Amino acid sequence: MASVFSGAPPQGGPGYSFKQIPTAAPSGERQHGFYPYTDNGGSTLGISGEKFTILAGDTRHTQGYNINTRYAPKLFKIGGEGPENKGARIVLSVVGFAADGDALKERLDTIVKMYKYQHGKPMTVSACAQRLSHILYNKRFFPYYVHAILGGLDEEGRGALYSYDPVGSYEREQCRAAGAAASLIMPFLDNQVNFKNQYEAGSGTGHDLQARVAQPLPRNVVEDLVRDAFTSAVERHIEVGDGLQMMIITQDGIEETYTPLKRD
Amino acid sequence: MTSIGTGYDLSNSVFSPDGRNFQVEYAVKAVENGGTAIGIRCKDGIVLALEKLITSKLLKPGANKRIATVDRNMGVVSSGLLPDGRHFVSRARDEAAEWRRLYKSPTPTSALANRMGSYVQMYTLYSSVRPFGVTAIVGGWDSEAELPVDGQVGSGPKVGSGGKKDGAKYGGPFLYMIEPSGLYWGYYGAATGKGRQIAKSELEKLSLSEGNLSLEEGVKEAARIIYVAHDDNKDKDFELEMTWVSSLDGPTKGRHEEVPKELREEAERLAKKALEGDDDDDDDEKMEE
Amino acid sequence: MNHFPQTWGRPRDDVYGAYDHSHFQTAGPQQHTQSPIVTGTSVVAAKFKDGVVIAADNLASYGSLARFTDVKRIRKFNDQVVVGFGGDVSDMQYLDRLLNSLDVRENYSTTETPLNAKNLHTYLSKVMYKRRSDFNPLWNHLLIAGLDGESKPFLASADLLGTTFAAPTLATGFGAHLAQPILRRTVPDEASVQNVSKDEAVRLVKECMKVLFYRDARSLDKYSIAVITKEGVELKQDEKLENQSWAFAEGIRGYGTQVN
Repeated sequence: MASVFSGAPPQGGPGYSFKQIPTAAPSGERQHGFYPYTDNGGSTLGISGEKFTILAGDTRHTQGYNINTRYAPKLFKIGGEGPENKGARIVLSVVGFAADGDALKERLDTIVKMYKYQHGKPMTVSACAQRLSHILYNKRFFPYYVHAILGGLDEEGRGALYSYDPVGSYEREQCRAAGAAASLIMPFLDNQVNFKNQYEAGSGTGHDLQARVAQPLPRNVVEDLVRDAFTSAVERHIEVGDGLQMMIITQDGIEETYTPLKRD
Repeated sequence: MTSIGTGYDLSNSVFSPDGRNFQVEYAVKAVENGGTAIGIRCKDGIVLALEKLITSKLLKPGANKRIATVDRNMGVVSSGLLPDGRHFVSRARDEAAEWRRLYKSPTPTSALANRMGSYVQMYTLYSSVRPFGVTAIVGGWDSEAELPVDGQVGSGPKVGSGGKKDGAKYGGPFLYMIEPSGLYWGYYGAATGKGRQIAKSELEKLSLSEGNLSLEEGVKEAARIIYVAHDDNKDKDFELEMTWVSSLDGPTKGRHEEVPKELREEAERLAKKALEGDDDDDDDEKMEE
Repeated sequence: MNHFPQTWGRPRDDVYGAYDHSHFQTAGPQQHTQSPIVTGTSVVAAKFKDGVVIAADNLASYGSLARFTDVKRIRKFNDQVVVGFGGDVSDMQYLDRLLNSLDVRENYSTTETPLNAKNLHTYLSKVMYKRRSDFNPLWNHLLIAGLDGESKPFLASADLLGTTFAAPTLATGFGAHLAQPILRRTVPDEASVQNVSKDEAVRLVKECMKVLFYRDARSLDKYSIAVITKEGVELKQDEKLENQSWAFAEGIRGYGTQVN
């Protein structure tokens, strides 16, 4: 019935001067003057030890030269029970665009919790680490603009630390600094954690020099390193300051500490 | 049931030779088995009341509310098939929300009754569906104040009429009842369900058309009527559920809310007393005889 | 001539060539908001020991034109939440209606606890983040003020990028530069919130509104102010700035009568 009243010309007949149907706009193409990212500053840092992992981040939240708030955590417990993540053994730190960081945290947290409901056992850090990589990679054409560090304990109970780029490339490391003051903290860590440019005393000169071999550091040493790293970063970087939050993941759970930093 | 065996009652939307739609009439029968529901249009508000029959002792008292809020200022109580009632409410909420989206103001009760009337009527037209097994009473208070448009940001010109009409009257209490056929009328007092006959005769005694009954009196009358209409012989337990909508300066400030516990219990006490009173009178009369 | 009425009276293709449809095309790439149009300026808020104070002036600007002078940018959600809107006014109205429909839905059931400020902040920040992720942002910076699930003062922000943060004092737009330092003098951290009374907080926020009126060219001396406590929301929408002193202007080039 409908075809009888259709305004379309018969096949092969002359075309109309005006097309009846406006030519479709190129689908999906969009033009924008809106930039969907911002940098919320701050820095994070993770160091893994023999039987623990420490993650740390300052709590300043900035936009340009403004300090939005002096307390906005960049460290999040992942998994565990309920909104307080009771009994969690994995910590995610995110620095960069805070809104993406929050969204990423919520996605990973949901996934890890669902994993436990579905499999009846907590997700291992290595599995969680790979999953996080996939989440980031899946959004590579509109990335989560964050530098993530994931910490926990591996199946052998050793400290595990994974660091990521915004599109999901990741690697297990001994230590990693990220965010605004990464370039200030990382060389310090290279020297103090991995003993780069350190040599055995009295091993000689030139080719005789023996590089000092890195070995896992005790917890109190690592905590002091983290504090030193941040107090120094605060002095040299305007986006870092206000407070230092640390999460120490051990066999017994996650210990959380907060130390004030300079607010200038 | 003259219809049985004639075949005209087997499909929806089929008329019998004498012009009846049996499926719709059967739906009305379904309603006649439901607990009594009533609505009273008082001078300063609306009361909706329901005789909620307790089908199991395992049901939590006071839970499973049956009178629903459709928009801030409107409520629906229904009698008949419960799931049909819930679908009715769900559609009414969608209609009210859609009205708001379109017109940026609350739905007038009359408009909602009209929309729902049309919706229910559509279920009498097609063989693929059955009519609603409920009769619903819609009660609401249309704001008497000139409401701002939803999302309005200023208060308009301070001089001149500003498009406002002086002394114009707006709003008030409105009550409608929608039947399975889609038929709906506006009422002073509406009743449906098992005890509708008794309830109707009680409602008539209230002379509601004179517009003298206050909302608080309405609440007490509603409770009494539900108690009177309740059939002790057939149904043992019931819960009285009551909601109300008042004017903006009344107790609910134009919103559809549950009648507060204290007031409801007071109304129930009076209702029971009135019933006992009847019995007492009878006894007294007998004694005198 | 042919037998198709639609083509009669139109330029013949064989004479004039086929019609150039590009002139007739209205549908280009779909465009979303590139910039706000009618805007409101700063919103200022501070926590105190029993609640939160929030204020914003009643101006909506069209660029540099003071277009609407009676625009209420502090919006009450329920008895424990108020939202302050900076940025695009039409997007504010959209959000207001969204919250309105949310409130209607929330009140279908009377037995559930009402949404608190924390809930609403979570909701709004997800709306904002979703819209920015769709490249179709709601061009606003919101402050959500009220009480959280434990009836403690709550104040947090959400903006067009979906960025969220909470602090004892907050200010959007120009206020972030001009009002926030003043607010932080009295309420430097979460602990000091306990030392601030309602009257002090109101006075503090009013002082900020005054500074903003002095220094922000897109501001007005008429404003709305709300105080949220356990007792409910106290919203005043027709306040006028009091005790202005323009004496400081004398010493500033461009403000006073002196030219250089």
